[in-house]
Amino acid sequence: MRQTHYLIVGASHAALSALEAIRMADAENDITLVCRDDALPYSPTLLPYVVSGRSKAAFLRDEAWFAARRANYLRGCEVARIDAANGLARLAGGGAIGYRKLLVASGATPARPAIPGLADVRYHVLRTMDDAAALREALPCTKRAVVLGAGLIGMHAAENLAHAGAAVTILEREPQVLPAYFDATAAGLIASAFAQAGVEVRTGCGVERVEAAAGGCALTLGDGSRVPADLLLVGTGVVPATGLLEGSGVAIDRGVLVDDCMHTNVANIWAAGDVAQARGFGTQAKMLNGIVPCAVEQGRVAGMSMSEDPGIRPFPGGVRLNAYTFFGNRALSVGTAEEGEDCEVVTRIAQDARRYLKIVLRDGRLAGIFGINVGFDPGIMWELILRRIELGEAKARFLDDPQTTARALMSKRWR
Amino acid sequence: MSGYNTIAFDAGRCTGCGECMDACVQAKSEDGDLAHSRIRIVAGEAPDTWELAMCRQCGDPRCVQECPAAALAKNAESGVIDWNAETCVGCLLCTVGCTYGGIVWDESARHVIKCDTCGGDPACVKACGEGALKYLTTSRIYNEFGDLEDLFVPGLAGCQGCNTELLMRHTLRRVGPEVVLATPPGCVPGMGSVGYNGLTGSKVPVFHPLLTNTASMLTGIKRHYQRQGRDIVALALAGDGGAADVGFQSLSGAAERGEQILFVVIDNEGYMNTGMQRSGCTPYGAWTSTTPVGREAHGKRQDAKNLPLIMVAHRCAYVATASTAFMEDYYAKLERAIEATHRGFSYLHVYSPCTTGWRFPAQKNIEVARKAVESNFVMLWEYTPEEGLHLTRPADDPRPIEEYLEAQGKYRHLDADQIAHIRRHIDENVELIRNLCARPAASPLPARTALT
Amino acid sequence: MNATPASASLDRSAEPRDAQSKPKIMVCDGNQAAAWGVALAGVDMVAVYPITPQSSLVEYLAKFIAEGKIDAQLVDVEGEHSVLSVLQGAALAGARTYTATCGPGLAFMFEPYVRGPGMRLPMVMSIVTRDTLTPQSVWGGHQDAMSVREAGWIQMYCESVQEVLDTVVMAYRIAEHHDVMLPVNVCHDGNYLSYGAARIELPPAQSVAAFLGPKDVNWHVALDPDRPMAVDPLTGGAGGPGPRMFVNYRKSHCAGMHHALRVIEEVHRDWEAHTGHRHAGLIERYRMEDAQFAVMTLGSMTGAAKDAVDEAREAGVPVGLVKVKTYRPFPTAAVAEALAGVQALGVVDRSVDFGGGCGPMYRDALAALYRLERRIPSLSFIGGLAGADLTVEHFHRVFERTRALVGSAQGGDTVWLNEKD
Repeated sequence: MRQTHYLIVGASHAALSALEAIRMADAENDITLVCRDDALPYSPTLLPYVVSGRSKAAFLRDEAWFAARRANYLRGCEVARIDAANGLARLAGGGAIGYRKLLVASGATPARPAIPGLADVRYHVLRTMDDAAALREALPCTKRAVVLGAGLIGMHAAENLAHAGAAVTILEREPQVLPAYFDATAAGLIASAFAQAGVEVRTGCGVERVEAAAGGCALTLGDGSRVPADLLLVGTGVVPATGLLEGSGVAIDRGVLVDDCMHTNVANIWAAGDVAQARGFGTQAKMLNGIVPCAVEQGRVAGMSMSEDPGIRPFPGGVRLNAYTFFGNRALSVGTAEEGEDCEVVTRIAQDARRYLKIVLRDGRLAGIFGINVGFDPGIMWELILRRIELGEAKARFLDDPQTTARALMSKRWR
Repeated sequence: MSGYNTIAFDAGRCTGCGECMDACVQAKSEDGDLAHSRIRIVAGEAPDTWELAMCRQCGDPRCVQECPAAALAKNAESGVIDWNAETCVGCLLCTVGCTYGGIVWDESARHVIKCDTCGGDPACVKACGEGALKYLTTSRIYNEFGDLEDLFVPGLAGCQGCNTELLMRHTLRRVGPEVVLATPPGCVPGMGSVGYNGLTGSKVPVFHPLLTNTASMLTGIKRHYQRQGRDIVALALAGDGGAADVGFQSLSGAAERGEQILFVVIDNEGYMNTGMQRSGCTPYGAWTSTTPVGREAHGKRQDAKNLPLIMVAHRCAYVATASTAFMEDYYAKLERAIEATHRGFSYLHVYSPCTTGWRFPAQKNIEVARKAVESNFVMLWEYTPEEGLHLTRPADDPRPIEEYLEAQGKYRHLDADQIAHIRRHIDENVELIRNLCARPAASPLPARTALT
Repeated sequence: MNATPASASLDRSAEPRDAQSKPKIMVCDGNQAAAWGVALAGVDMVAVYPITPQSSLVEYLAKFIAEGKIDAQLVDVEGEHSVLSVLQGAALAGARTYTATCGPGLAFMFEPYVRGPGMRLPMVMSIVTRDTLTPQSVWGGHQDAMSVREAGWIQMYCESVQEVLDTVVMAYRIAEHHDVMLPVNVCHDGNYLSYGAARIELPPAQSVAAFLGPKDVNWHVALDPDRPMAVDPLTGGAGGPGPRMFVNYRKSHCAGMHHALRVIEEVHRDWEAHTGHRHAGLIERYRMEDAQFAVMTLGSMTGAAKDAVDEAREAGVPVGLVKVKTYRPFPTAAVAEALAGVQALGVVDRSVDFGGGCGPMYRDALAALYRLERRIPSLSFIGGLAGADLTVEHFHRVFERTRALVGSAQGGDTVWLNEKD
């Protein structure tokens, strides 16, 4: 049986970030990463671009990278169960790996909405490289596509399908697209770009049932209308892949509950990335925040904690962040769009309606900033929020020109 | 693992002229639109101040970790974060990861852009006429000497924030194990370099000479090894008191005889190890425990003696001044000083502020050391009999002396007349050194001075 | 003020590096004899600074080195402080070293001087003895060497020019002996021995080399990258191992001094076996067999004292003489044994013990006499200060005053010999 000091389940952003952090503090002990896919590590975020053909299945790291860090990379190796009492990761294919310290960075799997009939029809999801290959293969022969869910995966897929020449309908239960990241105005701008490209966007629209039909399936909506599809893509979000922890004693809510050092309630088990449910910035509530920047940060914290790096800085709390490109447009979202009583909100929309900016200040500090085709540095904005920097006299200038003003604040304070 | 060169920005020198951005656009794009600039100077919060956003070529780059397409990578050779146009999918996650505004979307180019240091010859630095941008090559120290063994034991007991330990470790690391090290009474052995009660503080032969006879004891050691044909560096790490005052006779004698010794004086302007008494190197006006401040007295009444210039008068094989705030300069001089010991006496005078005795917070040491140099309170130069004397850091455009004096408690009592005296003394000293400097036409400055 | 060498011409045929197998006879003064001793001793490094009456010695050394008679490095430094410092450094690197000084030079050298013995560095330094300032003086007297008698060096005083040469060579064997490992002062009197010329016999270099054996200077403490160590870390303090270590260093230093009493005798016997030159190692007893009373002497005064003893004996005066050669460590037991049969003692010093109002050696003699069951009356004589001559006539007065003590219980006040000359 293989024994390892550090076992990392998963091989995407959080896992790789943790590996780097461990090696900074611990040059000696064994590290083993296990990846469910029989492939080098890749990012689920890249998959829409693989589908579109823009990316040729780029892998995040190669074998040499692991060799340079003296880490064992086991591909095609799925962990079925964690036996926390014995420090064992039992493998789906039989056998086990003994560990001293475990990081669960197993990511998330596509949510399967409880829609009658869905289980009986053929549909696509987009979470793995195999999913991407299957979808890409299906593109040329798709004439009528339905995308269920207007999240990032769904929106990207819809754009790809439209580019491939299919008639596309996006169905979203919420009243707007991208509800997790953008307010209604921004979402409206995004939706109109899709509409201009010929994509039908139907929001506030539930699906009653799905049934097989000639060449595909048909969806019956809440209003009784039927939408046929020769390709159905389900993009209704993801759920943390916590299955391997069942019975392990690790506390799970929606994701694996972790403290600010990504530590679970079990002494030698940590979790990071999409599988983890960590504190949100500025709250005590724990949230899922399945985005790359958060995974990288959590992986770093977990790695430092596992290797007992004395320089550890605890996780500051999750902030909602995203960068989204669609039909040549850029949408950026940093922080919260909630507008409480103590908030000051500035919103600007350009004449041509292609450009949109919204700034939310709370107590004279940045709480959120959102833009479409507006230049600002999201990384600087994120840091302004985390550092709770008072804009003070710079406030008016910031509201007028957030990009330049934020750069000046950054340069003065932490460059 | 290597250290890398980097573009440094001194906001205090930037005038916002934008020449750097023009140069960047010229170098990196065809249409000359400033939007393509990889370096971005922006107005600061205060009027007429300027700030910078550009890629820092981080050692632990978050943009690289956040890129889902492996389009960004730290180049192990150059240290630059390389961007790959082929694999980039334009997802903008790198711009979320970077907290410095170092990688940004170029709307007209339709891709992200970032600084690539022009392959190690950055156009922006060359265009900056104000000295606000510098291409620092300090990584040379790490790359060339980082693997050399630290020949002092861990845990020397210096005061918090003291730079002398830094200097000791760097110096001995560079000189190497074929050395006999003399550390006369003072802070250097006070930290435990020779050790206590049978325990040693270094991995090389080390001893306490008397405060008075460092250069003489090293003379005997070096001469005997020369007689035996062994090439061993006779090294002194001495304080200013032992060198300039009671130890001066033996120092002068050894220099006059051209003994092949490397004599490093760590000048903290007094007898700091024994309770901060004044030495011949204590500057005018400074409080020390023997030049106290009271109704009748206001610190030291005399100017410091300029020991390195006195050593120049000995026509040593090499004389240089250095500062712990300018380690690259120090390393270059240490290199030349070691080499010069094959010809004669080699003397290095390093200004090293004393957190305890000069009365400033421990974390301010490098800042105080830098201000001393930047205000011309001390000057960085080197001398050889062949090349004469020349500055290794320009003395033009100094900081106001008040910025240096105000940083230290030992000058807190100074009145306007005393500050005027100090200013006058600095002016005289700058004038004197300038007059001694070799004419640039006759003796071109070595290449490295262009970098500092 | 530098003195001119009494004999600047050198007999080149006496060059010790020649494969000479027979002794050479020559006439020279004590300073040159010391330089010949250095030439024979295979010294690696000589550091010098001139001072009267040592200067001609330095000049001889410089000349011998310039002419290749001595294969050593000459380091001509800027003062005596550096002289000894340079040599201590060289010794720590393994060199056999030599220098000479006196008077104010020795005083200036005091800081490294007191340090050397603790490092157990086996060095040899001549003191061409001179009276100390003030009054301002450039002439002979033992006050300089006596002022540093408790610094932990071995100190030996010479009587003759030949003994100067022989003792310089022997001093290396003594200093480098593993049971000793201490620096040695070879003292010869300023003026009387430094400038006084006499016939000497220069032993063959081969036999001296055989006598000395291989150099063994820094086996125990070294500044050598091949054997890295910290030399002289801080030692002591109120607690912990420090005070215990410090006591051990001091005790082993005293043990080295104690062993030296044996080693000095062995080395003198061995020197006689190699060269035929016979000198007493610790003390010399002169006509002591049936002496009723005795005088003690130190250094070159002994010549005149011995003549006076011979004359007195012919006149029936039962006087004997004890010459002290090794003054530090003081051969207390040997002195006590030599004086066991006398009924009175006069001690002639060429320096002053200000604390006792007597001569310094007188105090050492009293300590030796205390070992005897009988109480022996004694007197301290001080003479020959600042170059003053101690003549046969002076010693007859010494004998007269000492003999007068026989049968009395007490001694008397210190007698200042040149006071009424």
